Amino acid sequence: MDCAFIRNFAIIAHIDHGKTTLSDRLLELTGALSAREMLGHEQVLDAMDLEKERGITIKAHSVRMLYTAEDGNTYQLNLIDTPGHVDFSYEVSRSLASCEGALLVVDATQGVEAQTLANSYLAINHGLEIIPVINKIDLPSADIERTKEMIESTIGLDASRSLAISAKTGIGVHEVLEAIVQRIPHPKGNPDIPLQALIFDSWFDSYRGVGVLARVVNGRMYQGQKIRLMSNGKAFEVESMGVQMPKPVEIRELSAGEVGFFFATMKNVADTKIGDTVTDDTHPALEPMPGFEELKPMVFAGLYTVDSHEHTLLRDALEKLRLNDSSFFFEPESSVALGFGFRCGFLGLLHMEIIQERLEREYNLDLIVTAPGVRYMVTLTDGAIIEVDNPSKWPDPTLIEKVNEPIITATILTAEEYVGGILKLVEEKRGRQKNFEYVSANRVMLTYELPLNEIVLDFYDKLKSVSRGYASLDYHLSGWWESPMVKLDILVAGDAVDALSIIIHKDHAQERGRALVSKMRELIPRQQFEVAIQAAIGAKIVARETVGALRKNVIAKCYGGDISRKRKLLEKQKEGKKRMKRIGKVDIPQEAFLAVLRVSEES
Amino acid sequence: MPLGLYISVPFCRTKCSFCNFSAGVFSRSLFDRYVEHLERELAGAERIANAMGGRFEPEVDSIYLGGGTPSVLAPDQLARLFAAVRGNFHVHASAETTVECAPGTLQPELVETLLACGVNRVSLGVQSFIDRESSSVGRLHTRAITLADIERLRAAGISDISVDLIAGLPYQTKGSWADSLREVVATEVPHVSVYMLEVDEDSRLGRELIAGGTRYHAHHVPDEDLTADLYEQATEELNMAGISQYEISNFARTGRQSRHNLKYWTRQPYLGFGVDAHSMLPSAGSTEPHAAVRFATVDNLDELLAGAPRERTNVDRTAAIEETFFLGLRLNRGVSLAEVRGRFGDDAVSRYEAVIADLVEAKLVELQDKVLRLTPRGRLLSNNVFERFLCDRSPVRDGPGT
Repeated sequence: MDCAFIRNFAIIAHIDHGKTTLSDRLLELTGALSAREMLGHEQVLDAMDLEKERGITIKAHSVRMLYTAEDGNTYQLNLIDTPGHVDFSYEVSRSLASCEGALLVVDATQGVEAQTLANSYLAINHGLEIIPVINKIDLPSADIERTKEMIESTIGLDASRSLAISAKTGIGVHEVLEAIVQRIPHPKGNPDIPLQALIFDSWFDSYRGVGVLARVVNGRMYQGQKIRLMSNGKAFEVESMGVQMPKPVEIRELSAGEVGFFFATMKNVADTKIGDTVTDDTHPALEPMPGFEELKPMVFAGLYTVDSHEHTLLRDALEKLRLNDSSFFFEPESSVALGFGFRCGFLGLLHMEIIQERLEREYNLDLIVTAPGVRYMVTLTDGAIIEVDNPSKWPDPTLIEKVNEPIITATILTAEEYVGGILKLVEEKRGRQKNFEYVSANRVMLTYELPLNEIVLDFYDKLKSVSRGYASLDYHLSGWWESPMVKLDILVAGDAVDALSIIIHKDHAQERGRALVSKMRELIPRQQFEVAIQAAIGAKIVARETVGALRKNVIAKCYGGDISRKRKLLEKQKEGKKRMKRIGKVDIPQEAFLAVLRVSEES
Repeated sequence: MPLGLYISVPFCRTKCSFCNFSAGVFSRSLFDRYVEHLERELAGAERIANAMGGRFEPEVDSIYLGGGTPSVLAPDQLARLFAAVRGNFHVHASAETTVECAPGTLQPELVETLLACGVNRVSLGVQSFIDRESSSVGRLHTRAITLADIERLRAAGISDISVDLIAGLPYQTKGSWADSLREVVATEVPHVSVYMLEVDEDSRLGRELIAGGTRYHAHHVPDEDLTADLYEQATEELNMAGISQYEISNFARTGRQSRHNLKYWTRQPYLGFGVDAHSMLPSAGSTEPHAAVRFATVDNLDELLAGAPRERTNVDRTAAIEETFFLGLRLNRGVSLAEVRGRFGDDAVSRYEAVIADLVEAKLVELQDKVLRLTPRGRLLSNNVFERFLCDRSPVRDGPGT
């Protein structure tokens, strides 16, 4: 199709601000789905259960709509639905790079949130035409003027041409379609030069192999074409192509400006990296599209099954998930306390939660996750620099010259009354203020530099609680700080419990050590002897508690009637001990580890 | 080998808060039906034993009426029970014949009946001589009533009296416990049982303690450490008074140990009748010399009266060896390894060599002249000892018998 009649756009919105409802409404108005089909098929785009439940988008999608505008022309509108979470900001950037414009949807009752802000900046940086859309104007508490003000003051966009709509009732949605046609520029690719197509998502289909979502920037892509991935030079043949309308429709060709999916002979999703450029193998483009990055995991944790017999099931499940998501990695590790498991790396906390939930739901596994941590750059006394993302690999303190930890820049938007609590929290979390700004009468935007390590431990939950949910957070990796990080071990009767070791700032070590030790004391059953529970940094003990020796474990009454029953009791006790983990000479129920790991998340 | 007979009477005037047995308060109209049922069971004892695959034995040298509170039965009902026993078994003239009684139920007529029935031993559920402690768990008697009952029994010629005490009752302190112990010694009864309060889901008080609540005075129950202290205190005081410990929870003056209860710990045969009554007999059919059968009635009165079948468990050689240890070690006399070897063969001891060495090192047991005994600490941690004598297998279980 002639580029002049193509519009590629994304929707930027905070959770629950109405992105999905608006998408559905656009599909309905363009006839891609009838109103009847919409019924019971609410929220067509977010297909994964988890996405629906959380109201977030994890995987990118694209839908093609055909729209006959008031000017009498029929346009091809490609809606590229992007992930909406900071963990996936790279994916978002690649999706946005596939568009020329974006709808910025803001809830007229809520205003701009941090997530919206970050993605808006991302869109502005990509040179996208942004159309502010003020949604939910049918609600009594909608405040269109104030919302416009906020769009202008926080994002710096001209809100005078914003559209006021209700995606729910349909008010103003037609005007959205017209604005897309009139205000978003058409793509400017050249179909007659060598192929350059930008990959913005891929997935694994067990029948057809790897599917790729791509935007053709220049040239053409067609069935039977020999293509090449520019990052790794691997060549494949295009087997089939299609677009989602929103049901999949097979097509023979995608030309410059168009968006669609294709299957080539690819078997491994790790080959199709997001942001990579597809070109023609025989007439390759000279340059790939700019902006490609190899994704690196930022958050690390150990994953174990509660039932150690399920370990191989976990491995199979991780392998299957990885078929669809090349952005997380895992390798086997083992723990005295938890048995065999995997050290996993994730893009962020949400990514970790999603993987965990999918493992639990789709594969029916009961999981234990160790305290999440980050990757440190450790300079050793001999000058060598190593990356450490696992407490068990932390070098001996005497060998460490210095440690650098990853730092993020966080943007927090909140109401004035919560600022005090939030400031206290970010100070506790070793934050450094970069900016403090009133963006409207009682809304404040805070910009802080914070160690990522402090964010992954429990920052979200604490932020939520000090702001009663009225704070939104966005962050991006912004550098490194040299910090006195130490490894805190928890010792039971002198033996370290590997699963509980954490890397922590020296100044926080004692406090956390005390908390962990006192929780462990509650959870470790009394043994036949007194058991010391200690928190230690290297050889230095920073906290200690004692579990007194067990005094009595006895069946007082044992007569004829009780022998079978007492035998069962003894058998049960013996079985219970078998299930316990043995640290040195101490038997500890696995539940104790779970509870401690949960505490470290909560405290 | 003569049998011990156990007859369960699951009726009480009130249900004590610590009670985790299948006893309760039922209407008197049930008593008659229940006694009739027992009469039928006693009459069918040989048939039942055969059906369960046990070797029947008509000789009886101990009878034990337990509960519940057997003394709530009417005199004529008690008389009918003993008549049924004597009509269906050959009861030795010297048989130890015990009835559990609640203090306060021993009316002169009842005492006369007991004598007429040949009862020569009474076990009194005193629990505490401190009225506040006994009433806190639902006992209806007082210290004065208990002392009067003991006198009445003695006057009637029943001097073989056992007193039950509980360590760990609400409000109990070392001081009040010392008082109870002093009282029991002063009564000069020849036998005392001291039970540490059992905390489990089967009693009201246990459930409340587990839940951390305050009903049934649960928040005044001594903690585990204090209960252990009280137990040690009792062991010391009673031993000093000449009432020597012979089992984890039982103390007696010389020659006054309970013959009936010793059968349980030394694996002598016994037959049980009534609700939740257990039996153990040598296996009739098995070629294995140590094989036994154990069978039990249901623990629900309605189901029992409706004819619910007994459940049977086969006790094979391994189970017999395990029991020899975990029952025998309850006794202060301990388990003679030479005897175990003689009875079961060398492997019955050799399989536990490492376990025994381990337990000796942990000072939970001691081995002297080839006799294995619990240490005082081992007695309090006896479950940690006993579980080590369980082999890695479960006893074979048959389907329900008839």
